[in-house]
Amino acid sequence: MIPRGRQIHKTFNNIKITILCGFVTILVLRGTIGIGNLSSSEADAVNQNLIEETNRVLAEIRSDKDPDDPADSTDEPQFLSLNDTYTLGPKIVGWDQQRKVWLSQNPEFPSSVNGKPRILLLTGSPPNPCDNPIGDHYLLKAVKNKIDYCRIHGIEIVYNMAHLDKELAGYWAKLPMIRRLMLSHPEVEWIWWMDSDAMFTDMVFEVPLSKYSNHNLVIHGYPDLLFEQKSWIALNTGSFLFRNCQWSLDLLDTWAPMGPKGPIREEAGKVLTANLKGRPAFEADDQSALIYLLLSQKEKWMDKVYVENQYYLHGYWLGLVERYEEMIEKYHPGLGDERWPFVTHFVGCKPCGSYGDYPVEQCLKSMERAFNFADNQVLKFYGFGHRGLLSPKIKRIANETATPLEYMDQVDIRRPVHGDESSGSSETKS
Amino acid sequence: MLERCLGQQRVRRIQRAVRHAKVTFLCLFMTVVVMRGMLGAGKFGTPAQDLDDLTTHFYASRKHAEPHRVLVEAQPENENENQSNDPKNYATFDFNKILKDEGGEDEKPDPNKPYTLGPKISDWDEQRGEWLKRNPNFPNFIRENKPRVLLVTGSSPKPCENPVGDHYLLKSIKNKIDYCRLHGIEIFYNMALLDAEMAGFWAKLPLIRKLLLSHPEVEFLWWMDSDAMFTDMAFELPWERYKDVNLVMHGWNEMVYDQKNWIGLNTGSFLLRNNQWALDLLDAWAPMGPKGKIRDEAGKILTRELKGRPVFEADDQSAMVYLLATQRDTWGNKVYLESGYYLHGYWGILVDKYEEMIENYHPGFGDHRWPLVTHFVGCKPCGKFGDYPVEKCLKQMDRAFNFGDNQVLQIYGFTHKSLASRRVKRVRNETGNPLEAKDDLGLMHPAFKAVKVSTSS
Repeated sequence: MIPRGRQIHKTFNNIKITILCGFVTILVLRGTIGIGNLSSSEADAVNQNLIEETNRVLAEIRSDKDPDDPADSTDEPQFLSLNDTYTLGPKIVGWDQQRKVWLSQNPEFPSSVNGKPRILLLTGSPPNPCDNPIGDHYLLKAVKNKIDYCRIHGIEIVYNMAHLDKELAGYWAKLPMIRRLMLSHPEVEWIWWMDSDAMFTDMVFEVPLSKYSNHNLVIHGYPDLLFEQKSWIALNTGSFLFRNCQWSLDLLDTWAPMGPKGPIREEAGKVLTANLKGRPAFEADDQSALIYLLLSQKEKWMDKVYVENQYYLHGYWLGLVERYEEMIEKYHPGLGDERWPFVTHFVGCKPCGSYGDYPVEQCLKSMERAFNFADNQVLKFYGFGHRGLLSPKIKRIANETATPLEYMDQVDIRRPVHGDESSGSSETKS
Repeated sequence: MLERCLGQQRVRRIQRAVRHAKVTFLCLFMTVVVMRGMLGAGKFGTPAQDLDDLTTHFYASRKHAEPHRVLVEAQPENENENQSNDPKNYATFDFNKILKDEGGEDEKPDPNKPYTLGPKISDWDEQRGEWLKRNPNFPNFIRENKPRVLLVTGSSPKPCENPVGDHYLLKSIKNKIDYCRLHGIEIFYNMALLDAEMAGFWAKLPLIRKLLLSHPEVEFLWWMDSDAMFTDMAFELPWERYKDVNLVMHGWNEMVYDQKNWIGLNTGSFLLRNNQWALDLLDAWAPMGPKGKIRDEAGKILTRELKGRPVFEADDQSAMVYLLATQRDTWGNKVYLESGYYLHGYWGILVDKYEEMIENYHPGFGDHRWPLVTHFVGCKPCGKFGDYPVEKCLKQMDRAFNFGDNQVLQIYGFTHKSLASRRVKRVRNETGNPLEAKDDLGLMHPAFKAVKVSTSS
């Protein structure tokens, strides 16, 4: 039998070895799994809670619910009935005279600056996030594109994110906003509406306003499609200009009645489908309504409407985006037409929604290409260009020098080398 | 029992052998562990890294009481199998399939040459002066006391990691468009990384230099972060106050020069005059920026020298504090640290007071009564990880946006239903005489937007 002393000794030895082993095990485990997981289960639970909380917040932000909706929002929204007449606002008369008087009283807000009539570009998007994050990303890129063009050409931008009139939501929302801006800004000569899915692709081209001195509405379209075929795509209301005058207010008043949501818009849609060629059956949209209006009241309105197709005030993207490389090789900015389109308009892509009319990959690639095609024209000024039309990265195309103004003089878009009476500068290029 | 089988001596020998074996194995383990500790084992980490992890974890939790947040794509609930095959469905599309870089490698920077923003220019004031004389249509002053200003901001050309990040960038740029339209300021929205070495918060330096040199007609360049919003649409900057200085930042002299506090000034919103001094400042500011070893080492210096700065790579703001504090004689007399109004306003102390401000004050103050800029430092709405909880950041950004937007909408007779609501309501009825409408804030045709009336006509 082992004596007591040795037994205790042995026990001690065993304990020592056990502790040593335990220590080594912990070291090894820590090395492999890491210290964070010492409290692993608790951290996981906290993480899980964070993720759930985050998802809840994001879902709330992306939903259409508003904290100020009344609690009983399950009621049917009130629509105007077919017997109600809708108006954009109180009838304004003598706007041309009112405007003239105001301008003479306010010489520090002239309607022309540096010889060019003052233009206000109006665009916008809904106040809530897009159904899909990529939609917001392209809205952002499109607005940067517009900021660039408008900075170069001295145009002001209003980006609207409010539904001023709940009756005229959706594509009709532009009408109350155009009217509102005209009446608040008599110093503005032209209001230019542009869809959020349209991009400038010719940074040099300027709208030849002198051509339209006798017209009040400039819109892209084809007269034969309009008058002979009565096609629902004869004109495009994605990009058009309205002069700030009484005629425009009257046209807006005549245009609006098909717009109010509900039975009015539905019935109007049926009328439009019946009367316009090729129109599918859906509620009334502003474009079809305008075409119908101009056709049925031709004598009243058409003499002041300029249907423009000499350049792409609106350029349907299919057929344009594939040719960008060809354009870069053969042509140059400033043409605005099929050789170098002024505006590329992504009709039907609907990146802000969940579904478009075209495959997503084709739409997004094309939008990225159009954006970079335009951005290259801006970056060239700074000596850079994109690495390919699908690349977000840029490369240097002109070396930095200690005399940067010499390079600039050659590539400045705002002071074109081939002379421009509106710029006013008379220096000759050496 | 074992003893009876094998005999006592044998047993004792076996026990001793077993004991020796145990000790041998233990020592082997210890050796392996110590070796791993010193040399590392890849992903298994080393104790030094563990220590770093520990310090950053505890330091961070000291900085902000709330835990770090994580943003995850909210998966739509109503999936069906058809969606994944539908080419017209945006929800299931992977954006990374689109981007494609062409045309060769990035130019590799020469490791032996010190970093420069570009070729040294020493006569910029003369070059610019001559250009302005040759181009009278592009004056650097729009009116007396009203310099031509270019507001510069930007974001990444790739979609945000956070699904609602791009939406907040969009709202932020709309907010800036509104302020700049009212004040006659031009905007440059940058989405290009001009210099790969100066990525991250340093990317603004090469951009600012490039813009100053390309736009001699610009008198002041106003850099503004994408997470900063204008909340006072009526406040016009006091340009006469800055006629003798070249750099205006929000901050306090004591905190920068005396305390060397890393948040003594803020580089999220500042003004830089277009002249030789600015180019020299940018050249002096840039050296801590190049990413990699330089930026990391510089970060250590900054943490050591500046008060309150946590451990991370060098950032442009700390570098500016350090530059001014150590070279006050060179730069100090042309730098104005503005604290009279919120050229940069930390959102944490402002956003809860909006209702109080609406009740007691009106736009035009620019200071604590009605802040010019509310800057959402630390929110990082575009990224996945920020320093504050999601709910607080995004909801407060909505409130700040609406607070600013209300001042624009009231020009047209509308306002948001509440600071949290996207919907608007009419506050002024339309009349048949729109030109007689009340313009309470004077923003419809503000004096700071008027063009010079020529006396000749």
